[in-house]
Amino acid sequence: MSGKSTEERLNEILAVCLAELVRDLGAKPTWLPERQPEFGSGEILAAFIGFGSDDVRGSFTLIGQPRVFARLHPIPAEGNNRDLADWARELANQAVGRFKNRVLAYGLAIAVSSPQSILAEQVRVTKTQKQLRTPLVIGIDDMALETWLELDVRSDFTLAEKPSSPTDAVLAEGSLVLF
Amino acid sequence: MKASVLVIDDSLTVRQQVAAILKAVGYDVIEACDGLAGLEAVRAQTGIAMILCDVNMPRMDGLEFLEHFKGENSAPSVPVVMLTTNGTPDLIARAKRAGARGWIVKPFQADLLVGAVRRIVGDAARNSAAQNGAVG
Repeated sequence: MSGKSTEERLNEILAVCLAELVRDLGAKPTWLPERQPEFGSGEILAAFIGFGSDDVRGSFTLIGQPRVFARLHPIPAEGNNRDLADWARELANQAVGRFKNRVLAYGLAIAVSSPQSILAEQVRVTKTQKQLRTPLVIGIDDMALETWLELDVRSDFTLAEKPSSPTDAVLAEGSLVLF
Repeated sequence: MKASVLVIDDSLTVRQQVAAILKAVGYDVIEACDGLAGLEAVRAQTGIAMILCDVNMPRMDGLEFLEHFKGENSAPSVPVVMLTTNGTPDLIARAKRAGARGWIVKPFQADLLVGAVRRIVGDAARNSAAQNGAVG
């Protein structure tokens, strides 16, 4: 037994997924555990996406200045705020999609909602009824990307200790199969 | 004449990314923002050689689109490849049953995408030519 709660393990899995995704997009993520979000003045982009199953319900939020989303954008020439809001939604979708693929191996099958985004001068994540709300700040170059994971886990649910056999494995990100 | 590829994805970024990659290697690209818009596009357009389709979309998701499209009489032989963040076996099996030709998990590599499109569009062109020859 790892000694960690299901919530902690889910949080760790999502953090790994997010770091992998940022790397896949050509940036080097740095965890900033002590850093408090400091967005300063100017526009802030936030994208959020919900997910759930019979055992777990939650949401994932990405918050940052438009330029941090521009840094991760696959087409650098593009980049007005409308495009970046769309990209922020896709980024949240890809992060949670990766999370969905990973947690299936541990016995958790989740469905994912359509992502939403907002562009505002100030964004504040307010307290909700969820059991666990975990902030995580990632440094990308000289910028910060703030993430929040909120979870409600059914009290009698626990993740499997180890992932299931490779025959049950999901297709990895970047994979292509033709039938 | 350039072959046309229909890209169905609710993300403008993904549509732009795929379009840029495919246009650079000589394909025409038509875009639709969800499954319903995708159905409208295939009903309105002739000559679509292949469809790349996301799964998680509002209004009509990609698997619903696939099942509707393959159930219709209009060009059900057009190959459909799913392009999605999902890699779960149940969804892949459902797509396969519904007649999908392939599955790509985002984020994708441009060269793999181009290779798959070239192979599938080439196969479709050969099959179409063979069918026309058999009829004629």
